[in-house]
Amino acid sequence: MSATNLKSKRNPLVRAIQLILWSDLGPVVALFVILILFTLADNLWGSGRFLSMRNARVMLNSASLVAVPALGMTIIIIAGGIDLSAGTALTLCATALAILLKNDVSYMAAVPVVLLVGCACGAANGTIISTLRVVPFIVTLGSMTIYLGIGQILSGESTVFPPRENIPAWLIDLCSTGKPDVYYGWLPNIPRSVLFALVLACFVAVLLRYTVFGRSVFAIGSNESTARLCGINIPLTKILVYTIAGFFVAVGGVYHFANIKNGNPSEGVGLELQVIAAVVVGGGSLSGGRGSVLGTVTGAMIMAAIRSGCDQLSIPNPYQLIIIGAIIVIAVTMDRLREGSPEWLFRWLQSRSP
Amino acid sequence: MPRRTLLLLSILLLVGCNTAKEQGSGSGAGSGKLRFAVVPKGTSHEFWKSVHFGAEKAAQELGNVEVVWKGPIKESDTASQVEVVKNMITQQVDGICLAPNHSQGLVDVVNEADDEGIPVVIFDSGLGEGAGYVSYVATDNYQGGKLAAKQMAYAIGEKGNVILLRYRAGSESTEQREQGFLDGISEYPDITVVSSDQYGEENASSAKAKVEQLLQVHGQSLNGIFAVCEPNANGTLEALRNTGHDKTVKFIAFDPSDSLIDAMKDGSCSGIVLQDPVQMGYMAVKTMAAHLKGEAPEKFISTGEYVATAENMEEERYQTLLKPKLFGE
Repeated sequence: MSATNLKSKRNPLVRAIQLILWSDLGPVVALFVILILFTLADNLWGSGRFLSMRNARVMLNSASLVAVPALGMTIIIIAGGIDLSAGTALTLCATALAILLKNDVSYMAAVPVVLLVGCACGAANGTIISTLRVVPFIVTLGSMTIYLGIGQILSGESTVFPPRENIPAWLIDLCSTGKPDVYYGWLPNIPRSVLFALVLACFVAVLLRYTVFGRSVFAIGSNESTARLCGINIPLTKILVYTIAGFFVAVGGVYHFANIKNGNPSEGVGLELQVIAAVVVGGGSLSGGRGSVLGTVTGAMIMAAIRSGCDQLSIPNPYQLIIIGAIIVIAVTMDRLREGSPEWLFRWLQSRSP
Repeated sequence: MPRRTLLLLSILLLVGCNTAKEQGSGSGAGSGKLRFAVVPKGTSHEFWKSVHFGAEKAAQELGNVEVVWKGPIKESDTASQVEVVKNMITQQVDGICLAPNHSQGLVDVVNEADDEGIPVVIFDSGLGEGAGYVSYVATDNYQGGKLAAKQMAYAIGEKGNVILLRYRAGSESTEQREQGFLDGISEYPDITVVSSDQYGEENASSAKAKVEQLLQVHGQSLNGIFAVCEPNANGTLEALRNTGHDKTVKFIAFDPSDSLIDAMKDGSCSGIVLQDPVQMGYMAVKTMAAHLKGEAPEKFISTGEYVATAENMEEERYQTLLKPKLFGE
């Protein structure tokens, strides 16, 4: 292959960097590096419990809260789109669930309704983007506040919390990281939220890799005109993409509710940025055509690990915000390396090779 | 090659995991200081800085206590607060003092701490049923609401129309104040509550917008308005001034701020119900220490409630409550 020819001419340092980056395992390596750094720091200055089973549970659970909506966002971003309404649509779903449970609706009916609400939110985005041909950024910027408004109307501009006896036991335990009796006995003590998120992640991975729909998504994101010439029904695929993403937003809403047991539509403001950050840190490209489920899940775990690590080291909130921001920029810059960008760096490395 | 690196890293990590556990249990027993996590509702209001001051004061007096101060940035962010508490449990602190920002949302995580053998003292705002905690240290908010009602009745001459601006559904402390106010007002037959179902939500701007709407509807015949917490009171004051109602409508606030103190001087505010945040942080830490010593603290510990008015505000006792000490000053 020409790639190997090219590589052999380069200096070993460049080759090593590219080997890691080309393999799509960049984010995974980054996650390990971050875990090791925090473990070392925690053993030196902290309580030494950063790397314990308990904290693994807490981190995985908080990662799954972001990872589930991020699965949908991955599909959207691969297709070259963006969804800024994910955060408020998510809390709209959580609020809807809280209202239904409060009014004595059984979860057997409430959860499907909530999933439909999520799909409807996504479908509305997709339809407007496809038919009116407005860029996704603007459409979802608008729907972000629309969903917030709808949520506030439903909740009466307040927090909705159903009485505890109306919440089914599985929903109370979904995000629990406590007592051992909430886990499935035949597995190590992994929160249910994490197990379920893994199942969803596998589903999306298969969907993207082995179905015509999945390949169409990549094609649209890479080059929309070419995809159209290949006979892909672009409007329909886009609507599907946003609808499926809406489904994952709704599941994220159920998670959100299970985590805090109440619904407040305004809590979702800003959540979309965490979701987008997970996808981007995981190697998704905002210009479309690139992204992976493994990357996104890893991205969500990286963010959760940093938050937990900062808490364990008692780093105050303002510094924590700065660290998380810096990691996002660094992660994306590292990721650009595999496309040979920035050019000046590679030219400089090239010139130093013997 | 990357796959092999990965394998190597995961082995390293597993090894690290084991050593970490052993060292962790060792260091906990080794150091003599007790570590108390103090988790406020949020970190951006001055009230919590006074609580922090009180907590540190208690820790200094006790000598063997270290305060770990950590909370969510926004008071409405229940998810972040849940995560902070979970992380404190992971750190295996010796005790957690928590001001839950939702009465239901924090129940499970408090039970989680209980299951892990970490005692929890609740302060400022209560927790829903089914939570296992040692004690609840707070202002008697119901009583505070009643005091507000009494002051309101005095200010408007025991007759007229009043508005109760609520804070947020699910916030136990303010719901107590609201109930206390309504019960207190019901003792005066000539006072009518024209609105008590509107929520100002967590910040001054949302409260201001809400009050402006309310003034549009009730402004002509309104005599008084009660705002149940500091951010809402600031927003209410702005709205009253903005619409020119600040001289005709008597305004009672709960918790002080610089602008409310000024407003009391110029007559736009007729009274501020005060609590003692320094005492709250102080008692929360003291109660936790007492519990760990094996004493059995009371299930509810009141830290007192007071009303400042234009007449008494210059007295020293009220000055310290109107401008409580802040941590870091």
